Amino acid sequence: MLGFAIRRILMLVPVFLAVSVIIFLMIHLLPGDPIDNLLKIGAGPEQRAALTAKYGLDRPLYEQYALWLGNVLQGDFGTAIVQRRPVASLIGQALPYSLALGGLALVMSTVLGVTVGVIAASAKGSWLDQGLMGGVLFGSMLPNFWIGLLLILIFSVSLGWTPVSGARGWESLILPVVTIGLGGTALVARVTRVAMIDAQSRDFVMLLHAKGVHPVVIQLRHVLRHALIPVVTILALRIGWILGGAVTVEVVFARPGLGSLLIKSLNQHDYPVVQASLLILAMAVLLGTLLGDLLQAAMDPRIRDGLK
Amino acid sequence: MKTIRSLLLGTALAGGALLPAQAQDVTVVMSQNEVGATSYNPITAQLLSVGAWLIYDRLVAKDEKLQYVPQLAESWEEAPDGMSWTFKLKPGVTFHNGTPFTAQTVVDWLPLYKGTENEYLFDAIDHAEAVSDTEVRFVMKRPEPNLLYNLSTVYGSIPDPAVFAELGEDFGVVEAVGTGPFKLESFEIGNQTVLVRNDDYAWGPGAATGRPAKIETLTLREIAEASTAFLELKTGGVDMLMNVPTDFVGEVTGTDNLKLLELPGTDLIYMPINVTKPPFDDVKVREGVAFAINQQEIVDAVFDGRGKAADGFLISALPESQTAPEFRISYDPDRANAALEAAGWVKGADGIREKDGQRLSVTLWTQSDSIFRRLSEVVQAQLKAVGVEAEILTFDSAAIRDQYKTGEQQLAVRTYLWDNADILEWFFGGDRLYYPNISMLNDPKAEELKAAAMTGAKTAAEREANFIAYHQYINSLYPYAPIYEPVQLIGYNAERLSLPEPLQAARFNTLGFLELDVKE
Repeated sequence: MLGFAIRRILMLVPVFLAVSVIIFLMIHLLPGDPIDNLLKIGAGPEQRAALTAKYGLDRPLYEQYALWLGNVLQGDFGTAIVQRRPVASLIGQALPYSLALGGLALVMSTVLGVTVGVIAASAKGSWLDQGLMGGVLFGSMLPNFWIGLLLILIFSVSLGWTPVSGARGWESLILPVVTIGLGGTALVARVTRVAMIDAQSRDFVMLLHAKGVHPVVIQLRHVLRHALIPVVTILALRIGWILGGAVTVEVVFARPGLGSLLIKSLNQHDYPVVQASLLILAMAVLLGTLLGDLLQAAMDPRIRDGLK
Repeated sequence: MKTIRSLLLGTALAGGALLPAQAQDVTVVMSQNEVGATSYNPITAQLLSVGAWLIYDRLVAKDEKLQYVPQLAESWEEAPDGMSWTFKLKPGVTFHNGTPFTAQTVVDWLPLYKGTENEYLFDAIDHAEAVSDTEVRFVMKRPEPNLLYNLSTVYGSIPDPAVFAELGEDFGVVEAVGTGPFKLESFEIGNQTVLVRNDDYAWGPGAATGRPAKIETLTLREIAEASTAFLELKTGGVDMLMNVPTDFVGEVTGTDNLKLLELPGTDLIYMPINVTKPPFDDVKVREGVAFAINQQEIVDAVFDGRGKAADGFLISALPESQTAPEFRISYDPDRANAALEAAGWVKGADGIREKDGQRLSVTLWTQSDSIFRRLSEVVQAQLKAVGVEAEILTFDSAAIRDQYKTGEQQLAVRTYLWDNADILEWFFGGDRLYYPNISMLNDPKAEELKAAAMTGAKTAAEREANFIAYHQYINSLYPYAPIYEPVQLIGYNAERLSLPEPLQAARFNTLGFLELDVKE
C-alpha cells in the first residue's frame, strides 16, 4: 500500500507543473491588464509605464512564470496588484468560509445521498424508488441561485427562522449549506443506488442470502461496503468543487469565500490572486483524486495490485 | 432571473428581524461598487468603502454644492503665484489613540504617499513645513489649482503616521487609527465592518461641528446581490441601503416602512462616438446623432423620472459644466435631421438614411447589465427616428473595457463616476486613445485647451475658466452625446431611523452618519 501511495504521489508532480503552466498562460493571455485598475483618473502614461515595470509585467512571459513558480515553491504567493494585500492573507481570510460552507455541504450530501441511495436500491422498481430518485433528479436540475432565493423567501422572509444573508453565526450557514448540499445529495444518491444495485447482483450476495443472513445486514454490511467505492471517488473529486464552486451561493447569501475572491480577482485581472486561487483549487482536485484513489485501494486490493 | 426576483419580491412578507438591532446600533449595506475593498489604508488602497470616510478626516470637505468647506483645516490661503498653500488647523483634534493632531502630523503624513500608486495626488507638493502647532504650509513644485479637490477625496484621509509606520501592510486591516467620528472595531474582508462611536469627536464638518455621532455602533455589511440586500432591508435585517438600484426603487417606495433619500449624483451616462470610424469621421453625422438623443424621454422611460437630463459631459454641480447655451447638447430632432441631410445622408423608402447606395447602419455597444440593455434599446429607437439604424452589440460588463481597446466601436452607451472637471482629459485626451478615450478624439486645438486646463492655471478661478473653454470646444466636435445624470438613492427603514433632510453634503458619509439617529 505504501508503494502504491508513493507512486501515486510522484505522478502528481508533472501534473502540478502542467497545471501551473496552463493557469499562468491562461490568465496572462486573456485580454486585459491589472494596471487599468490601478490608474486613477488623472494618472498619466508615465505612471502606467512605471507600474507595469514595478510589477514585472514588462518582462517576457517565461521570466514572469519562472519567478512566480520559484516563489510559489517557497510558499510565497506574492502581493495582490490591485487589492494591495499579500495573496496568502487574502486566501487565508476567504478559505475558512469556503471550508465551513463546502465541508458541511459535503457532509450533508454524503449522509443524505447515501441514505436515499440505499433506500431506493433496497426498494428497486417500487414507487418509493421512483419517487425518491425522481425527487433527487428534480433537485439536481434546479440552479443553485434559484434554490437559494426560494429558501430565503420561505425560511427568512415568510417564517423569519434564519437570517437572509451574511456570515454572522451558525444560523447564517443553514440555508447556504442546504442550497449546495441538495445538488450534491442528488449526485451521491444516484451513484449509491446504481452501485448498490450492481453489488446486489454479485455472487457473494446470493451466497449470503443462501446462508440465511438477514437482508438488512446484507444490504448495510456487505452490499453498501462494495457500493461505497464509486461513492468515495465522487466525494473525493468534489473536494475541489466545494472550495471554489459555490460562487453563486456566496453571492446570493452575501458570504465571503474563495469562489467570490476568484471571480472578483478575475474581473480586476489581479494576476497573483487568480493564479494562487486557481492553483489551490487545482491542488484540491488533485489531492481529492489522490485521496479517492488511496481510499479505493484501501477498500479494494485489486486496484493497488493493478497499478503494480 | 428577473421573473424569480419579481416572484420573490412580490410575495415577500415583512417578517420580523431574526437579529434585531440594539437600541443605538445601526446596520447599513454599503454600495455594491464598494464590496470587496480589502483595507482601510487610505495611502495605498485602490478601493475604499464608506467606512474610510468615517474612520478618518481630511483637511477639507465638500458641501452639497461641491464647494470646499473646513474639516481638519479651519481655513486656508493660496499664494497669488500658486507656489504655496497655508492651512490653519483646528485646535484640540486627537486621533483615536489620544495622539494630538498637529501641523507636524501633516508634515509626517505627506511623505507616506511616496512610492505608492496614490503618490501622484500630491506630487505637486515639494514639502510641508510646520509654521506652528496649528499652521502648516505646503511649498509647491508647481501651482496645483486642483489641490483642494485631491485633499478632499477619501484618498486624502489622514491616518496617524506613527501607527501607520508601525503596522506596515497590516494598517487598515487589523487596526486603523484616524481622527474620524467612528473607530474601527473589526473588519472582515468581503463580509462586514463594525465601527464604534468616537466619543471625543468635536470637529465635524458643517452643522455637526462640536459633537460626536448620535449612534453608538455602525455595522457596514457587504452584499453584492441587490435582491438579497433589498430583502434584508425589507425584513429588518439591515436598516439602510447606501445605493438602491433603479430596478428596486418601486419596491422600496411601495413598502410602508421604507423611504428613499435622494441626493445629487456624481455619475453621468453618455454615448461616446468614435470620431475615427466612418460615418462618424464626419462631424455633421456626429452632430446629427448627438441631437437625436431625447434625454428627457430616457429619464422618464428608463429611470422612472428620477435624475436629470444631461446636456454636457460634466455633472451639473460642477461650475465647469456651465457652458454657454450654444455649446449644450439637448434633444433637437430638427437640428439632427438637418445635420444628417447636410452630410449627404437622405432618408430611403424604409426611413433609414442612405448615401452613395450605402445605408446609415452602425453598431451600438453596450454592457450586459439590465439597465444598460434597456437604455440601449431606447437609444436605438431614438436613432431610428432620425434615420439611423443601430445594431446593439452586448458585451459582458467585466470584459467591455478590453473590447474598447480594439477601437472598433462606433457608438456605445457607458457611464462614469467622478466629480471633477479633469474627467474631460481622461476621456478625450489625445494621449489616452483606445482606452479611456474611446471616442478616439485627438484634436490639436483640444490638446492645447487641455494643457491650459490641466496645468496652465495658477488659481482655482483660472482653472475653472480654462476647463469651461476646453469643455465647450469638445462639445463643438460632438465626440459624444450626453444622456443622463443619475441621483444617489438611499433606502432606509423610516420607522427606525431618522435621516437629515436636506443633507448639506455631496455624499452620504461623514455628515450623514453624524446626523443619523435611531428613533426611540
